[in-house]
Amino acid sequence: MASADPFDSALDLLRRLNPKDTAANVQRLCSLAPSLTEDLLESVDVPLTIKRDTKTGRDFLCCDYNRDGDSWRSPWSNEFFPAIDDGEGVVPSERVRKMEVKAGEAFDVYRELYFEGGISSVYFWDVDDGFAGCVLLKKSASPSSKSAASWDSIHVFEALDRARTARYKLTSTVILNLGTDAENLGNMDLSGNMVRQVEQDLPVENDGSHVTNIGKMVEDMEGKMRNLLQEVYFGKAKDVVGDLRSIASLSEAKRDKATHQEMINSMSRS
Amino acid sequence: MSSKTSALASFVESAPPGELTNVTSAIKTITGDNSLQSLAPAFQKYNEEQFTTVKLPGGSQSVIISSHNSLGDGRYYDVESQSSFAFDHSTQKASDVQSHVLESSQGDLVKSLLKSLSTHAQEHYPSSSLGVYPTFDDTSIAVVFVANKYSPNNFWNGRWRSQYIFAPSSGTLIGSIKVDVHYYEDGNVRLITSKPVSLSVSGGSAAEVTRQIAAAERMYQEELNRAFGSLSEGAFKGLRRQLPVTRQKIDWEKVGGYRLGQDIGGGRSR
Repeated sequence: MASADPFDSALDLLRRLNPKDTAANVQRLCSLAPSLTEDLLESVDVPLTIKRDTKTGRDFLCCDYNRDGDSWRSPWSNEFFPAIDDGEGVVPSERVRKMEVKAGEAFDVYRELYFEGGISSVYFWDVDDGFAGCVLLKKSASPSSKSAASWDSIHVFEALDRARTARYKLTSTVILNLGTDAENLGNMDLSGNMVRQVEQDLPVENDGSHVTNIGKMVEDMEGKMRNLLQEVYFGKAKDVVGDLRSIASLSEAKRDKATHQEMINSMSRS
Repeated sequence: MSSKTSALASFVESAPPGELTNVTSAIKTITGDNSLQSLAPAFQKYNEEQFTTVKLPGGSQSVIISSHNSLGDGRYYDVESQSSFAFDHSTQKASDVQSHVLESSQGDLVKSLLKSLSTHAQEHYPSSSLGVYPTFDDTSIAVVFVANKYSPNNFWNGRWRSQYIFAPSSGTLIGSIKVDVHYYEDGNVRLITSKPVSLSVSGGSAAEVTRQIAAAERMYQEELNRAFGSLSEGAFKGLRRQLPVTRQKIDWEKVGGYRLGQDIGGGRSR
């Protein structure tokens, strides 16, 4: 059953260990097996960190896609924070940056309409035959001193140009952490992440079409994932607790079932 | 402990219910170390804290591993079968079964608690294991209980653990209930709960102790079920709406036109 590949094993391990510790566990794995560092940082999603763009006074989100060494590029000013010492960091081409700005504005509206708060950041970059990007959204809330909740969306896509259409490949991760502490309940932590992928061919008239297409795809995906999260966090997890312990007496339930079966049998005989 | 060992030990410690073997084999692949000798203390801690169950050679009942029935040197005892056995913490296998007669001034209470608690367990837990042991100073009684349900084909596993210390002289019953659920289809979601229990038992009969434990566990499950509902309706809804206030999806062609409202409504990060 053991996978022979250390990278696959590291991903398998991260899928099993407490998802709340993923960031710390990635660090542990990187020091245990330094050769996996680059691949792990690229493929494992951890809660997004926040930095301040001191030029525009706006906060932005950091991930591996806007990182250059120990600096992160702000989507608002296109500059790196902290500034990069030796020369400039990699920025998108003029055409791709234009789309990035447009998408950044559109998803800021999206964020306000769906999250009513939080922070959004959109990063695009050039790839062969098109461009790629990520849409990041983060909202944290502490409804009381004894509870905390946070949502991180990480949507990574690739847009490959075809004649009059583009092929989009979208991988979406939502990290949802919920914790609460109360006298009667004690401590309850319900945390984790879910990942989904989709591919779609959509018509493209001009660069504006890309922002529209990506917007629709992300909105659609995030809606589906919200339903999925609701089902798993509050339905499935609760059901498993019910499978471990039954509030109703098991022998009574068994008797009821037997009586029910007897009734069915006697009805089918008559 | 080296930093490598402590990193690996933390992986073992947070292994989900029923997945220790998977975690161990991933660690072996990543480190290239097949013996994992340095992790012996971590495996012991895991087995004793998670109340690992094991079938004795020739026996049909599962018996519990915990610090309360440890005899030292990797040996543990079971009251019901009046035996002691050697336990290999890394393979979770028992061997070398010997006769072990309980010598305790609490012997009668231990046996009647075993009887009444196991009747209760069968009424509410489809599959569980129970241990009742005198504490080392023979003044109190330790109750350890675990219910597991593993469904790896459906990508979930769960564990309910409770433990109590009952002091007959003062009538105090102190302990905790812990639930651990892992769901890992298209993601990694974990429910971890912990609830301290502190009760006082009048009379001190096995029946009364059982009645109090049964009531506390029932109340806890009801409280936990309510918490799923209130997290779903409260914290979760507060993070991201299902649809914008307008109850319509975003018109991405016209998303620029939304900007006016957004400028008035704020949404700029502070």
